[in-house]
Parts: sequence; structure tokens; C-alpha cells
Amino acid sequence: MPVVCSCCAQARAMLKRPKTGHSLCRECFFWAFEEEVHETIVSASLFTRGETVAIGASGGKDSTVLAHVLKVLNDRHHYGLKLLLLSVDEGITGYRDDSLETVRRNQRQYELPLKIVSYEELYGWTMDAIVKQVGLKNNCTFCGVFRRQALDRGAMMLKVDKICTGHNADDIAETVLMNVLRGDIARLRRCTAICTSGEGEGAVPRCKPLKYAYEKEIVLYAYFKRLDYFSTECIYSPNAYRGHARAFLKDLEAVRPSAIMDVIHSGENLSVREGVRMPVQGTCNRCGYISSQALCKSCMLLEGLNRGLPRLGIGKHHRLHGKILAQQPLTLDEERKLKAVDF
Amino acid sequence: MAASIVVHLEFGGGAELLFAGVRNHQVTLPSQSQPWTMKQLLVWIRANLLKERPELFLQGDTVRPGILVLINDADWELMGELSYLLQDQDNVVFISTLHGG
Amino acid sequence: MCEIDENYGDILEKSTIPCVSQMCMKCKSNSAALIIRAGDAFCRGCFKEYFVHKFRAMLGKNRLIFPGEKVLLAVSGGPASSSMLAQVQQGLSQDTPKKLRFVPGIVYIDEGGATGQSMEERQMAIAQLKSIFQATGFPIHIVHLEQVFSLPGSVLEAASPTPTGTDGSYKGAVDQYIRKGSTGGAGPSEEPTQPRGHPVLDVQQHLAQLSTMEVPSSQHSQEMPSSQQSQALEMLFSSVRTLTAREDLLMTLRHHLIVHTARTQSYAKVMMGDSCSRLAVKLLGNIALGRGASLATDTGFSDPRHGDIMLVRPMRDYTSKEIAFYNRMFGVASVFIPSLDTKVSEKASIQHLTESFVTRLQTDFPSTVSTIYRTSEKLQTACGPQDRDAGLTARCLLCMCPLDTTSDKSSAFHATLVSEKLSQKLPSEAAPPKQGCLSSTGRQGKDCGALTDGCCSSDRTGRVPELGSLLCYSCRLTIKDTAAVDSLPPYILTEATRRMQRSQMREEIAEFLLEEDDG
Repeated sequence: MPVVCSCCAQARAMLKRPKTGHSLCRECFFWAFEEEVHETIVSASLFTRGETVAIGASGGKDSTVLAHVLKVLNDRHHYGLKLLLLSVDEGITGYRDDSLETVRRNQRQYELPLKIVSYEELYGWTMDAIVKQVGLKNNCTFCGVFRRQALDRGAMMLKVDKICTGHNADDIAETVLMNVLRGDIARLRRCTAICTSGEGEGAVPRCKPLKYAYEKEIVLYAYFKRLDYFSTECIYSPNAYRGHARAFLKDLEAVRPSAIMDVIHSGENLSVREGVRMPVQGTCNRCGYISSQALCKSCMLLEGLNRGLPRLGIGKHHRLHGKILAQQPLTLDEERKLKAVDF
Repeated sequence: MAASIVVHLEFGGGAELLFAGVRNHQVTLPSQSQPWTMKQLLVWIRANLLKERPELFLQGDTVRPGILVLINDADWELMGELSYLLQDQDNVVFISTLHGG
Repeated sequence: MCEIDENYGDILEKSTIPCVSQMCMKCKSNSAALIIRAGDAFCRGCFKEYFVHKFRAMLGKNRLIFPGEKVLLAVSGGPASSSMLAQVQQGLSQDTPKKLRFVPGIVYIDEGGATGQSMEERQMAIAQLKSIFQATGFPIHIVHLEQVFSLPGSVLEAASPTPTGTDGSYKGAVDQYIRKGSTGGAGPSEEPTQPRGHPVLDVQQHLAQLSTMEVPSSQHSQEMPSSQQSQALEMLFSSVRTLTAREDLLMTLRHHLIVHTARTQSYAKVMMGDSCSRLAVKLLGNIALGRGASLATDTGFSDPRHGDIMLVRPMRDYTSKEIAFYNRMFGVASVFIPSLDTKVSEKASIQHLTESFVTRLQTDFPSTVSTIYRTSEKLQTACGPQDRDAGLTARCLLCMCPLDTTSDKSSAFHATLVSEKLSQKLPSEAAPPKQGCLSSTGRQGKDCGALTDGCCSSDRTGRVPELGSLLCYSCRLTIKDTAAVDSLPPYILTEATRRMQRSQMREEIAEFLLEEDDG
């Protein structure tokens, strides 16, 4: 016997909502999903009228749904935002070139301007070239750090006020779990913030309007709306440890569907003991990007690549910052430790 | 005896990679004494369709957490999940949520 | 999703199997008997010394257990709490300046009524435990879970902390103890640190009169619970739909019984046997249960949520491996008692799933447990002194932690409420609306009265209060999974009604004051 929608009490329910356990029909689901994102935006005051907002678009389900919903809400609730798509081309053959095709189709479908910034033009390195030098073990470190800056630099080029990313509730909850598993109290405290305000020069404020949207609902929204998205895993992404956290989260969700929100609630309400040392935010002496060290992570990684010492940016080598800033050569002993050999 | 039935299977969101990249499958489930259940369909898929790494699709007797199942476009959680009795011409969709953001 | 914005690569390397030396790394003369953690091989003697030292060091570092103070040891029969009992016993028998100087007693909560054991099985387990407990000579308190049905509502009040010693300082207490020249015998009649005439004492005497569970240490025969209470407990647990909520509820009720026992028997501190491995699972599990706000209280060394009765966790530096080896090598007896999650599937509950996950991860990444555990050190105890004035209504009715549901509109809690609203019919079309949280006071309780008839004491109000507003985020989830809220023990329902009446009164007064302001 078909289940009836708990909202309109007329149409046949098409999905069970993990967050609340309610069953909704297609139309009521669309409405509820969109209005919840609206509520998230309003209650956290994410935008101000007249702002230019870049949507970090990867071609994947999250950013595709984000672009669609933001466009719908901007019209429905008269946000008065100038929306545009901002994509990063990491230079991964067979993955990014395909997904960028999807972003280009989104651009036409949603009639939003699109800007693509590439690792190659920003850093002089494509991910393919980086993988060739560092191998497959730490490449995600490079990609993640470079992407963060790439979005910022693209946003500054376009004189954008804010960047929106497609991080969903599952992503946030997973990050909370990851930070507990690795005992990173500083990140644990920060990772549930819906907005990172731009402290220091160079950082454009970012926000996550899908913070409370379940991945399940994002996928179903895209499926029912027949949205065009790209769904191949990055070919360089093996990361076992994060995989454990994700599998655990999915199991938690299977046991108690509200668990994803429950983890986020936990993360939002943690209080950290006073006196626990937190890194102080400063700026990078080379590129001016926010950094707690003399050189930012990105510049260290880049320096490592350019010197042929890829380990330089991985792990903690703060004492070498002075030498690098002064463009001095490293000792043979230092170099030996930073080569790619035992990666 | 229940007659053989034809069901349409679709794999998306990256799940198709475990089926040699083929998204759509029209399959005939042979006649058997009892009507086909979703649980039996999963066993059948594992034996007949899955090309690689079954653990990425199935765990225990159900789909791996993170793979959504829709029966005739409705969430299978509304249809009795594993105990759902398949009908001729049913449309079953599997979408992985575990790929890419 | 890959590692956007994050860099986790550096510390999560899988550890390689250490090269095992055959010699003890400490004395370097005896051959090693076990490896404690990566590379540290200890011989039998050095391991014992290390283990014993760690217990005293934990108490010494925290300076919360005062000399002469009565301390209740919560022993479940499991390896960790049995090991704790053995440590206390050994520490007291030592005739050195390092001797432990508090006065212990033992409490065991028999949960067989909730875990589906027969009366015979329960009696057998109790007999086994008693023979272990009696060997210590400490007072023994055996409490059946069914006794929650005769607890007084005051269990749910956090009494203000009892100032101990001269000026509440550890040093003062030690000096006083030495001046008295007390030997700290195990006599239960001694009350060396309770200041006379303190209001808490009155409360305790009052509670002792109310109590129905006085179990003198000399008596060996405990009455098993009445069939009426057994049925009530069975009804309560069978109305809880998920194992996750059942485990959570059981833990809450167990806590209440332990605290009540401590109060009525005038113990000031309770020692819990949580090991480092256990706490790591608890920490991660509590995050999954939405208990982030009270992580520090739930997993730290000291747990002040009950005010006058402080819970401490002296076993929190031991891994379950160390405990298992110690118990095995030095003949510490423990009793296996089935729990709610014995022999259930891995994914039967959040707690059980977390345990399997942490255990499995620990095998691949041996620093998992210690890393998670260290996180708890960096967290703030939410029940700090600043909350003391907030009054009792600001605390959760069940877990007694400060309410975490008053957060601002941009929060997961608020977002869930919005989802609930948007997933239902508009209020105007909906069935008769509820009149807020106080609607229950005006309702006739025929139906619920009939359901629970005969299973509860006479002070039942016959009304089922809407508990939501009195609970923290996580306890709300537990109650949401409970079909028959009216089968909760009377002390909870009575206290709920009382708190709601008080908050209603406060609202009325507030309205009155506002009108005054206007005029």
C-alpha cells in the first residue's frame, strides 16, 4: 500500500526523510528542501543584498544542486544576489576535463557566468604532473591545499564578495568525526562553522548553505529534478582513513538516521578548555595568504615541488621557513630526508 | 509457481562503475515457486551482474550504506526494503552517494 | 569527497610492527612478559609496579579524593572495575606512606531485569560477586535496577557541592586527617569529613528515610525485586524501540541508582571503572549520540554534574589490554555478566557500532584509542561553576547536564525543528493543536492510568508530562524512541511535572512583571 505524503496528505510519498523520518511526495520534498536551505541562509545571515556570490562548482552532485537551489531561491525570495560559477581545473586527465564539461552545461542551463581557474596557470603545476613527482600517497594534500587557494584567487580576480561551497551535512559530520579521530582540537572547533570570515588579506569569506542538507536528499533532489551532474570518483583519491570515517558515518546513519545531524549538533556545542594552545592566524610572508606560519602550506608545497623535495610541504618543517624565504639551499642531510623515495 | 518477470535496473551516481560502466539493464528473473523479493534480487545481481568488488555494492544481505535504492521512483524505505515483492516491469534504481562532491 | 581544505596525511601513517626486544625495557634484566604499547616491553614485576603506580599517580595528580573520605566503588563485575577494586584493596593494605587513605564501599547494580536474565541467573551472578566483594571486607551495596521504581524525585536535583575539610582545600583536608591521627578504618559509622549541620546532611537523612534499599553490609541475603516492579521494568524497556535508546536509558537509570546509593549511605565520591579504551569509545559514541556539549563531563576524570556526589574515573589511563593482562597475571577475578549488547549484531546500536569501529581501527592504526582519549583532556567541563546559579531547570531531567537546546537559530537543532515543521501539514489544517508543553496538566489521564495501573507507587499523578522541553538534545532522542513515556519510573515523571509547574509559574510572574513595566 503506498504511503501518503505527510505534508500535503494527498500525493504518494516518494522518499523518507532521514532527518525527521517524515515521508514526502515529490513536490512537497522540493519545497521543503529548498525552503530549508533558505532558512539556513536567513538564520545565519549568509548574504547581503547586492553581493556577488561565487558558487564553487565541481560538476558533482553537491555543487550542481547548490547552484540550482541558489538560483531558485535568489528569484523566489528576491535575495538580489549576482551569482556566478567558479571552477578549478586541477589538471587531472580523464576526471576534471569531463566534469568541467558538466559545469559548462550547468552554465548554459542556469544561465550563470562561469570562470575556470587552473592549477597550471596559478602554480605552474597540473595534478597529473604533481602525481608524477610525489606518487599517489600524499597527492590529496597538494590538491586540497591548492584548491583552497585557487578558489580564493579566482574569487579575487572576479571581485567576488563571497564563495559558496557544496559541503553538505554528511561532509560536515564526517569532518567532525575525522577531527576527533585525529585529536585535532583546533579544527574540531572550527569545522562546524557555516561561515569562515575573511581574516587577513587574500581570503574571501566562504559559506556552506547546504550544511544541514543530507547527502541522501541532495542525490534524490538531483535525481527527481533530472539535474545533470558528474559522478566519477577522482582517480587519485584512495584515502583510506577518511574512507573509514565516511563508512562509519554511513553505518551510524543506517542505525539512527538523525545521527548525521546529531554529530553536527555535538560539534557545534563542544567547548574547548581554556589554555589549550590554538594556532595564531597570520599571513604568509611570500604570497600574503592567511597562514599560522611564516610560509603558508601552499607555498611550502610549491617550494617542495620546485626544489624536487616533495616532502617539504608535508609534515612539519617550520624551522626551514627562514632558509626558504631567504632562498638559501638546504644541507644535503636536510635534502635527503625530503626526497620522495620512501613515500 | 510465480512466472518469470522482467525488471528494469539502473545504476547511477558512480555505482555503474561496478557494472562495467553500464547504467541500464533489462533483466529477466526466472520463474520460481515464490514471488521475487528485493533480497533475492540483490543475490541475483551479485551472481549475474556485478563485475567487480562486490563489497562496494553489497554488505551483508543488503546494499552498502550510502547507496540509495528507488523502486518505481520511490524511496525503498517506503516500500518495505528487502521484503518488497517485485512485480513484472518494475523499475529499480541504485544511486551511489559516495562519489565526488 | 577528497580532502578539500584539510590535510590529514602527516600523522595518520600506519605504524609498522615494532621490533620486539626480549628484555624488559625498564629493569633490563628480566625477560619481557608483555608489550604495553608500541615497543614498550615490560617484565612481570615492572609491569605490576607500573600498573600500581599509575593508579596512585592518577589520584595524586587530581587531588580530589580526600583522606578519610567515604568513596563508593561502582563495580560491574567486568575486568576494569574489578581491577579498580583490586587496586583500592591493595592500596589500603599497604603499610607505607603511599597508602591510600579513603574509606571505600562497593556498589553493584544488578541490571538483569533489563537484559533479560532469569532470577536464577541473576542470583547466581550476585552470589559470585559477593564472594569476591566479601574478601575485601568493604561494605557492600547490591542494588537491583527495579529499585528505580521507588526512587525519590530528589535524585534528579543537583545538590550544591559539599565543602570538604577545613576550607575545601586538599591540603587542609590532609592536615586535618593527620591531626586526627585517624587510621581510616572501614567502619561505615565514621563521618570524618562531613561538616556538622550542613544542609546536605539533612537532605541525606531525609533520603535515607525514603530509601527502600538499605542493604547492611553484614547481611548476605538481598531480596530480589517484587514481580510488580519486575513487570514495570519489563514494560519500560520493551516500550523503547531501539537498542541505542535502551542502552542510553539503562545507563541513565544506573547512574541515578548509584548516586542515590552514595547519597543515602553518605559517600561523597563515586569511583567508576571506565578504562581508556572504554572512554575512547564513549567519547566517539557520545558525539554520534549528540552529546557533544557534555563530552568533558561524560569522559573526564571528575564528573561534577550531581553537585554533592562527585563521580571520578581513576582507571582512565589504563587500556583494556593492560587491564586484561594485569587481571590474568595477578589473579584478579571478574565475573562475566551479559549486557544489553551481548551477542547482538555489529550495527544493532550506535554504542555497539562505535565500539566495533574503534576496535577495528585500533588494529590498523594503533594510536586510535589514545588519540581519541587525549581529545577529552582538551575539552571544557560544561558544568563549571559559572553554571551553578543557572538553577535546576537549566539542567536535563535525565542526564543532569546543562541543557544544550537553547542555541541560536543557526544550528543543527534549529534546522531539525525547521525540517519537522516543513515536513508536516500546516498547523491550520492539522489535527487539534497541542497547547504547548503544559497541555498535559489539563488532560485527563484515563488512558495512561489504565496502561500503567498497578505497577507504580501511589504518588502517580496520572498525567504524562511532555518531557521534551526538560531534556537535553541527546536525551530527547532517547525519549523519542520510547513509545510509552508514562512507563518511566515515577520519580522522573513527578519531577518533570514539578519542574514544568515551576516554569509555568515563572512565566506567569514574568508576564506580570512586564505589565508592571509597561504601566
